[in-house]
Amino acid sequence: MDNVTGIARKVQQAPWRVQRQWLGLFLLGLVVVTLMAGLHLNITTRTALAGRELQFLQDEILNARRVNADLETQLANLTSYSTMRERALAMGFHPARADEILYIVAPGYQPPAPVNLARSAPPAPVSLLLPAYRQSLLEWFSDQLTASNQTTTR
Amino acid sequence: MHNPHAWRFSVLTFLLALLGSGILFQMVRIQADPQARAWLVEHDPYDGAWVTYYPARGEIYDRNGNLLAGNRTIYEIGVDLQAVRDPESVALAASIYLGLDYNTVLTQITQPADDVLYVVLADHVPPEQADKLIELQQVLVNDPSGQSLAGLRFVPHLERSYPEGALASNVIGFTTREGQGYYGIEEKYDSLLAGVPVTLWVPSDPNRAEELPDIPPGATLILTLDRQIQAAAEQTLDSALQTYGARSGVIIVMDPQTGEILAMATTPRMDLNHYWEYEQIFIGETPFNRAISQAYEPGSVLKILTMAAALDSGTVTPDTVFLDTGTIIVGGGYIHNWDGGAWGYQDMTGCLQHSLNVCLAWTAVEMGADVFYDYMQNFGLGHTTGIDLAGENPGRLKLPGDNDWYPIDLGTNAFGQGVAVTPIQMVMAGSAIANQGRMVYPHVLYAMVQDGQQRNMSTQIVGRPISPETAHLLNQMLVESLSNETSLASVPGYTLAGKTGTAQIPTAYGYDPYQTNASFIGWGPVDDPRFLVYIWLERPTASPWASQVAAPVFRQMVEQLVVLMNIPPDDIRLQATGGE
Repeated sequence: MDNVTGIARKVQQAPWRVQRQWLGLFLLGLVVVTLMAGLHLNITTRTALAGRELQFLQDEILNARRVNADLETQLANLTSYSTMRERALAMGFHPARADEILYIVAPGYQPPAPVNLARSAPPAPVSLLLPAYRQSLLEWFSDQLTASNQTTTR
Repeated sequence: MHNPHAWRFSVLTFLLALLGSGILFQMVRIQADPQARAWLVEHDPYDGAWVTYYPARGEIYDRNGNLLAGNRTIYEIGVDLQAVRDPESVALAASIYLGLDYNTVLTQITQPADDVLYVVLADHVPPEQADKLIELQQVLVNDPSGQSLAGLRFVPHLERSYPEGALASNVIGFTTREGQGYYGIEEKYDSLLAGVPVTLWVPSDPNRAEELPDIPPGATLILTLDRQIQAAAEQTLDSALQTYGARSGVIIVMDPQTGEILAMATTPRMDLNHYWEYEQIFIGETPFNRAISQAYEPGSVLKILTMAAALDSGTVTPDTVFLDTGTIIVGGGYIHNWDGGAWGYQDMTGCLQHSLNVCLAWTAVEMGADVFYDYMQNFGLGHTTGIDLAGENPGRLKLPGDNDWYPIDLGTNAFGQGVAVTPIQMVMAGSAIANQGRMVYPHVLYAMVQDGQQRNMSTQIVGRPISPETAHLLNQMLVESLSNETSLASVPGYTLAGKTGTAQIPTAYGYDPYQTNASFIGWGPVDDPRFLVYIWLERPTASPWASQVAAPVFRQMVEQLVVLMNIPPDDIRLQATGGE
């Protein structure tokens, strides 16, 4: 028994090695914490920038809509009935009378239909935010797994 | 190997641990402190704000896509008090460019009320005025003299604008700066045009920024009006009022097969961009749109409804002969012809052609009150038509059993006296005769566009007061009547049906012996009616007779309509359609 204790004492690490190990562990922890803090800071900053950009773009959209409405009205002012009539009269035209019109029978002629302001196809709902700004990490993993499963089953 | 300086490390470690613990303790203490909650509450207003997003008001177009009501940019000009560097220059600029009082503005800026950070100087400032201030602000950004307009804020937003000014103003109505629609389409479809405002919490913290939901603008409306026909109707009406010295007037043009109102011109009209002049233009009880809001005794134009009822009920046929002695007694009262004369033997076409009161009163008596008033109600008299414009008047059709109905009313109502109708009621009733017995719902809305989808209004038949055979017979009689009696309404090359109406005006002391209301209702081409035109001139002074003042206006209107609507003369049209 005394021999065993003696051997253990002989293989026990030197104190300076133990200190170095503790220091190494501490530094490792510090590096991990620093990395996480840096990552967090990076993501927070990018999120903040994206948020500002989003607010800016939303303002831009509202502004563009307002400007569009304004331009449409300006165009209508420039082509109003009274303006167009004055321009036509100034160019030497006059309203046509019934006896000045020559009618020609055109087979298949279809009179113009009233205006249609409908869009040709309804716009698909588009989200302004990328998934990265809306998903948690778990949701992202879940999506990736689903996507990879779909790819492999094809 | 004992390090004699190890105690130094121990002391340093202890101090660092103490410092760390202190920081941790302080963090916990601050969070747990009661003052922390107060600070949080105090900070709340700066977290963000509840913002209400008002969708742009829907636009209004005519049937060909011409904008009748849109939106334009105007500015709210205010002062951010914390950013002001030179209050005197701001006050001076506001007084020069916005017409505000210098001292008032200066006081607002230098002595604001408690907690006020922003002061609105002016709103609804036109862009051309605001642009000058914006330009000046930029010029003074680095002005060496120290003058500055820093702090002036320009907030653009939309305001209703009417590119056509007064054109179709009585139909469109107007929207105030507060966004409330009044009269016409603007009032009738106010909630649709206004859209649904959305109130959202908008955080100041960009980390909490969220996607704004799409705020759709108000519905866009397409009207049945045709800008060119509307302009032609208004010009024709204005010209007629001047030529014939009438006090006011109405011209309605409707497609009798669909009920689409192509034009509705009345007087007075106003530039909708200056809606605040309303009270100066519509003095007293002047209606905004006489065509739907002012009931009057129409006179002989109503004879077409009486004759339609008499023919349809089998009381008479076109060949029925009536001996006109110039007088008939109905309910104990005497009824005379418009000229006081006796016209002898007349068939029913002759009765219409010469507009004989005695003959039409006789047909009503022969029908009986029950049958006559049933038909009049089926034609829509005494009820609103339901036209999609605000402020419609139902008129008045007295019925047997009413306190103010007397037996003589049966005779007088037959030729349009003692009954009050609006022009739009006569137009709807007339559509039944023009359109093979089918009476159509008159409407101004052609389509609504929302979410990119256009929904068109369909034609609505509101009744069949007479049979197609009766309508056909009456059309023939009215064509003959128009071509012979009221030649001033005829348009060469086109087969038109129509009837004049000259009505005395009731007063508190009986009928005015001098002044009249002159009306005309007509449509064409009779075999395929594309337009129905109603004319009403109030108190014309050039002549009291509708055949002299209203009939020519009808002709002028139709002469323009056939051009604007591309309706060739009958011979060419029938050739093109193979004589169908």
